[in-house]
Amino acid sequence: MQIDRCGRWAALLMLGCAAGCAGNGEGLDQNGQPISGGGSTGGPISADFQSIQDHVFTPICSKCHIGASAPEGLQLDSAHSYNLLVGVPSAEQPNLLRVKPGDPDDSYMVHKIEGLSGIVGGRMPLGETPLPQATIDAIRQWITDGAPNAPAAAAAAAQVFAVQTTAPLDGATIEGAPARIIATFTQDLDASLVNGTTVTLERIRDTGAPVAVAVAVNAAESNPAVLLITPRKALTPGLYRATLRGTGGGALANLNALALGKDISFEFAVEPAP
Amino acid sequence: MIGRHRYAAPALLALLYFTASSARAEPYLALQLGLKCSQCHVNPTGGGLRTTFGDIFAQTVLPAQHLDSAFDNWTGQVGQYLRSGGDLRFDASLTQVPQTRSVQQFALEQTRVYLEADVIPNRLLAYVDEQVAPGGALNREAYLLYWSATHDWYVKAGQMYLPFGLRLQDQTAFILTATGINMTTPDQGVEFGWEHGRWDAQLAVSNGTAGGAVTGNGKQYSTQLAYVESRWRLGVAANRNDQSIGAKNAYGVFAGLKTGPVVWLGQAEITDDRSIAAGQGKELATLIEADWLITRGNNLKITEEFLNPNRAVPNGEQTRLSVVYELTPVQFLQIRGGVRWNDGIPQDNSQHQRLYFVEAHGFF
Repeated sequence: MQIDRCGRWAALLMLGCAAGCAGNGEGLDQNGQPISGGGSTGGPISADFQSIQDHVFTPICSKCHIGASAPEGLQLDSAHSYNLLVGVPSAEQPNLLRVKPGDPDDSYMVHKIEGLSGIVGGRMPLGETPLPQATIDAIRQWITDGAPNAPAAAAAAAQVFAVQTTAPLDGATIEGAPARIIATFTQDLDASLVNGTTVTLERIRDTGAPVAVAVAVNAAESNPAVLLITPRKALTPGLYRATLRGTGGGALANLNALALGKDISFEFAVEPAP
Repeated sequence: MIGRHRYAAPALLALLYFTASSARAEPYLALQLGLKCSQCHVNPTGGGLRTTFGDIFAQTVLPAQHLDSAFDNWTGQVGQYLRSGGDLRFDASLTQVPQTRSVQQFALEQTRVYLEADVIPNRLLAYVDEQVAPGGALNREAYLLYWSATHDWYVKAGQMYLPFGLRLQDQTAFILTATGINMTTPDQGVEFGWEHGRWDAQLAVSNGTAGGAVTGNGKQYSTQLAYVESRWRLGVAANRNDQSIGAKNAYGVFAGLKTGPVVWLGQAEITDDRSIAAGQGKELATLIEADWLITRGNNLKITEEFLNPNRAVPNGEQTRLSVVYELTPVQFLQIRGGVRWNDGIPQDNSQHQRLYFVEAHGFF
């Protein structure tokens, strides 16, 4: 019968697939990236960010937490993970930081990987075996140590002082008022220069001059490369522009007094919550 | 209403005995029955709350034995306009990874409850799929669904799973993680569906943020088209998530074939994600699955998967072989036990994980 012949072909195809073939890993590092591309060369996990990135975030988390559709906007590839974790409020529980340097018990990421009862959604990694206790212990220790960035990553980022990304992105439309606006930098900010003259938020009107919006501005706790802009009142629907002043006296600068060199603005629209 | 179901149940039971040789949940069940997903699920693309047909089927044809409860079959009906349902999965597992201490654990994988309000019977419904455990409550789906009078097209609006190929139960399957389109990443948007004869198509437009905050004006477009015959089906799927940090494209082909007591499923897909580092987002994932219905209530599932996580870089391929036995002894209860062998590059121990598990799955 024709269908039964198809079944035999399907069985043979399946056997063929079963016989092949995991890669031999030649020329790749522990995360499957070309060795020339940098990255860890192996060994057990240790309590430093590069090791955690190489053993956990890159091979496990970034299977989902990557790119445009990363859950909760949390990208955990090596280019984004540190500045979206350390000192940044959780989207699921905004009263907790994803990683609170020095305090693993109050770091929401730890709650998620330990599956504590207060988390929203499932334990991470979702649908997979929980991380080994040794791995969780290394992450806890890294946070206890102050959650420092990897020296190599910090050095690479430190070659230029610039805005890395913003949330919302320039031109974005968001439903509902954001609790805060975030800008991340390639280097730590001089927190003493973060104030109402260097960081402003305005509401743009169809007619007339923009109207200043009252905000609190500060560098993220223990991660001065992240700037948090918190409106004092919930933003009403409309068009907004955030401006980071990088020129003139008292401009935003890094710890070596290197200013941004230009003013950076990004606009976003707030629409009523669904 | 209850009275109507008292008569409907035997009729459905008789119908099912003539149309199905047996079954369970997942796409292979649709193959065994030669039906579309919408026959057994409220969601036309599958998963979640079962229809009255699906409920009766799950109680009368699916299990090895039907325990008489002296009551009508469960249909989830609550009053005249509401229906409810749920799924609970609890696992015992042993995970072995080379050079790593083995992990043995019990885990409540998920508890989900479904609620459907038939605002206008057969035409307009409101639907909610809520994960209530473990952890805090998490909304998975919440939408309005409007059917045409002839049920050959519909419009869905709200938060929903996106259409793209086979909607498997195992959310860690390579074909589901490569695209990022699965039942852990519902998105907010609208979906237009078309069901005409043997053809079945969907087009969804959504935010592209997996239900998270919107960070740009880009949108995600996900579509599939399938031709469904009684013993085979063939479909194609495409997805584009066009975000300001770069677009992700995915293309897939999926198929099913029934040969006697064995159902075969297959899917192959490629992705090109330009929202991540250059050269890292070109994946290839395939799946072939055989489901052998040994006797009623007893199914052996063998799945072979392949993943090339970066088509631009050789030697990094991964495979996974799963052998799972599914026993449905009585209605509402399924026991699944099996093993999954992962294989990958020698330098990454996590790619050589072996997982043994037994799962209790309660569903209603």
